Amino acid sequence: MRALALQVDNLLRGAGTEEAPSGRVLRDWGIILVAAGLGYGAVMGSFGGLFGERFVQVLYSAIKVPFLLGVTFVVSLPSFFVLNTILGMREDFRQALGALLASQAAMTVVLLSLAPFTAFWYASAADYDHALLFNGVMFAIASFTAQWVLRRRYGPLIARRPRHRQLLRLWLGLYVFVGIQMAWVLRPFVGHPDLPVQFFRKEAWGNAYEFIAQMIWRNLAN
Amino acid sequence: MRQWFKDLDGLLRGDSTRLGTLKDGRIGIAAGGMCVVAVILGLVYGVCMGFFALFREGGPVWEQFLATTLKVPLLFLLTLVVTFPSLYVFNALAGSRLTIVSVLRLLLAALAVNLTVLSSLGPISAFFAASTTSYSFMVLLNVAIFGVAGGFGLLFLLRTLHRLVVSGNEPLPEAKPLPTDSAGTPPLIVPNDSAIDPLRGRLMGRHETLVFRCWVVVFALVGSQMAWVLRPFLGNPATEFSWFRGRGSSFFESVGQHIVNFFK
Repeated sequence: MRALALQVDNLLRGAGTEEAPSGRVLRDWGIILVAAGLGYGAVMGSFGGLFGERFVQVLYSAIKVPFLLGVTFVVSLPSFFVLNTILGMREDFRQALGALLASQAAMTVVLLSLAPFTAFWYASAADYDHALLFNGVMFAIASFTAQWVLRRRYGPLIARRPRHRQLLRLWLGLYVFVGIQMAWVLRPFVGHPDLPVQFFRKEAWGNAYEFIAQMIWRNLAN
Repeated sequence: MRQWFKDLDGLLRGDSTRLGTLKDGRIGIAAGGMCVVAVILGLVYGVCMGFFALFREGGPVWEQFLATTLKVPLLFLLTLVVTFPSLYVFNALAGSRLTIVSVLRLLLAALAVNLTVLSSLGPISAFFAASTTSYSFMVLLNVAIFGVAGGFGLLFLLRTLHRLVVSGNEPLPEAKPLPTDSAGTPPLIVPNDSAIDPLRGRLMGRHETLVFRCWVVVFALVGSQMAWVLRPFLGNPATEFSWFRGRGSSFFESVGQHIVNFFK
């Protein structure tokens, strides 16, 4: 536990950015990602209340945050690995993977540190849409901070081989493309207080991009 | 089997296509093994693509799943069969000294690279297939994925062809050591030398370059039309299952139609 807390500290302070992380460090980052994600998710899902049936929503939301980040990461990884290999960057892959995982873990740590704000907001305002928006802002802040961690760890790689810059952009593109759809499918994260508690929304099983494209079309056509 | 995948790894890393290893104008891979690897990779992507038929509203359509899985490797093998003779003939016309076996190995290697990229994008495709009901979106996504994978495959083909021709034509120069600075330490920036980086300073004849570039365009056109002939790959949820559809229309016309459908 103490070692893990130390690891969080190292992660935030950017210790060991020059070399490829060991297997143990990678594992610790994975644990941090899941634990901190569970923490923020639980707070996020507490909008409708904590007790009785509403507790189930807290559990669902807790699971969904690490699931969203973890599965998006795993789904995007094979293509990133193959592209790294083809573009001749295989030797650096471990370090690159470390940088990506570190940024993910850092994102959940930042989220968890913002959780008191979310709880405070829930306690002081009862509007569902505002709660959604507030969580959106928290995720945006966490993503920007994670970007910063990512750049710091990718810096040495880019300095050695400038092509890593393009690969990093490619990764971000892939990750965001998959992540948007993943977040869309996993709704609801906050849970509307008047609707019954559920893991998936039946009608949510669709495509985020199709929804956006059709919204644009409707606005342009009318 | 393991050795075949090691061969594939060597191709992807660029180890098997460096000038030093191409000495006698051939790639050191087993053609049969590479063919098996290509089929396996094709099946992997086929399964991912087939998720669209499995997660359809109103229950899975197993025939479509099976058809999709089989059609992906078939698409690439048939394209290979159609384009192989012309590559060999034009290659010989352009004056390179590659034998028919080297050309076949080269094509199989390019196909394997293409299919590796394709199957590595498989999880993304499978995830969207499972969570999406929009047929047009899936068609466009798969066109994009096949396009990216094909782009890498053909780039690999062009670059390796270049290397093969160069290594067959001239005596191998001394390997130049990496430039070092005054203190004798290796340079900080490592130069790019992957399988798809161009050889610097060594050009092929203008005719050869032109011939190969034209041939690559032909390959891409044949591939996309082959995909059209073998359709349906995903299976339109609005129609009954069929192994093949009748002749008519074309690949590019249909893609345009799907773009319009996607927005409406």
